[in-house]
Amino acid sequence: MEKEILIEASNIHFSFLLQNQASIKQYFLSLGRKKLFLEKEVLRGIDLKVYKGESVGLLGRNGSGKSTFLRVLAGIISPDKGKIKVYGRVAPVMALGVGFEMEMTGMENIKLLGSLIGMSKKEINHSLDYIKEFSELGDALDMQVKRYSSGMMARLGFSIATAGNPDILIIDEALAVGDKGFQEKCSNRIKEIKNNGGTLLFVSHSIEEVKKFCSRAVLLNNGVIEADGDVNEIGEKYLNIFQ
Amino acid sequence: MESLNYYSGRLKSYYEVVGTVAMRNVKLRYKNSILGIVWSLLNPLIYLLIFIVIFRDVFDLENYPLFILSGLVFWTFFSGTSIQILGSILDSGGILKSLSVPPIIFPLSHLISSIINLLLMLIPFFILMLFFGLQLSWNTLLIIPGIVLIALFTFGFSIILCAFNVFFRDVSMFYNTILPAIFYLTPIAYPIDNVPPNFQIILKLNPLFHFISFFRDILYYNRIPQLGTTIITLGLAIVFTIAGLYIFKSLKKGFISHL
Repeated sequence: MEKEILIEASNIHFSFLLQNQASIKQYFLSLGRKKLFLEKEVLRGIDLKVYKGESVGLLGRNGSGKSTFLRVLAGIISPDKGKIKVYGRVAPVMALGVGFEMEMTGMENIKLLGSLIGMSKKEINHSLDYIKEFSELGDALDMQVKRYSSGMMARLGFSIATAGNPDILIIDEALAVGDKGFQEKCSNRIKEIKNNGGTLLFVSHSIEEVKKFCSRAVLLNNGVIEADGDVNEIGEKYLNIFQ
Repeated sequence: MESLNYYSGRLKSYYEVVGTVAMRNVKLRYKNSILGIVWSLLNPLIYLLIFIVIFRDVFDLENYPLFILSGLVFWTFFSGTSIQILGSILDSGGILKSLSVPPIIFPLSHLISSIINLLLMLIPFFILMLFFGLQLSWNTLLIIPGIVLIALFTFGFSIILCAFNVFFRDVSMFYNTILPAIFYLTPIAYPIDNVPPNFQIILKLNPLFHFISFFRDILYYNRIPQLGTTIITLGLAIVFTIAGLYIFKSLKKGFISHL
């Protein structure tokens, strides 16, 4: 059977603009001779194909471009060069808790965040029961989020992001928070999404975690994909970097 | 679990998101404050009081309080909205870095919430203006297109500042510093005829002068705004909206590196 392509990235380049000397003052003092911004290339030509139902782990040391690449996939940033095609709804679970409005209640945040990740009012209302049940927050949903513990925020964030079976789930080092019970629950939910035909992209520094969810892994180094293949093999290579 | 159908990544309803975020702004503005919306009224009222006390005998104007109010209300809208839009991208840094949303949503939502706030404010201010001698007529309805024009101008002007402020935080410092100066350079508490003719030209270079004149013609002089004023305000609204959207669009690519 022909495998269905879900993500197709070809030759992705992305640079961050860094402010030179962090001041506009020198720019004017040098009469424009000093550059205002420096470009720092984070992604230097990434090619990746991910098929429907696959689970791919992204490995690489800090600053290798993992998070930036995930942001390109999630449509948060558009690449300077190269093409990215994503077929399906992406649910980004980046640093959990980001995007919450601290002064507002959990319930108000569900509506706000749900709307920002692309759900309509109707879909949010449909998902309310799931979010309530999965997060186990109960009456705390009527409390301001600023009174939440980090674990509670993680529960709410994960529940909102995984509501309504997304096609592609992106998880960026986000599972370390929350208590044992909730981590387990998240793992089960991720497996459930996988079993329903969902595709997973997973970033973690723990090889064990990656092995738990993914059969394929990709090693990023210095903005390019250095190796791509079986998770055990790539895991070895990743550990070798630090030898 | 019931499966819901989404279409890829993109926001389903742009309007719904802007509306939801605008409602968040309205809620946040008065959350944890006891007096709530009264705070929006207090600031212009204090200015009004100061001007009445200090300048009442200086300017020989009929209904001086109404003269001030007809400009002050819309100045308050301009200054408040521009400050909020100016910070809107930086304030939403967390969201912009982790979710795929068009950045323009945030300034746009602040514009909407500010217009809602203005409309709420107008109710007590109209009562006050009636008390100070406002004559209602069909002309009064012209403030509705006036609000649309000043809103467009404010939006375009502010998203330019907002976009540059992401790269250089000095923009907001600078703007907050000169805002009081702009206030006094706008003929709100004084008639422009009292200014020496040489300086009148400078004051007329200030876009806000024309918007204030537009509202003052309607509310204070109870007449249709002069043709010149109407053309200038319309032109300013269009030019600033287009320029603002263009500059914002050109600069937004660099936002994520600077949040």
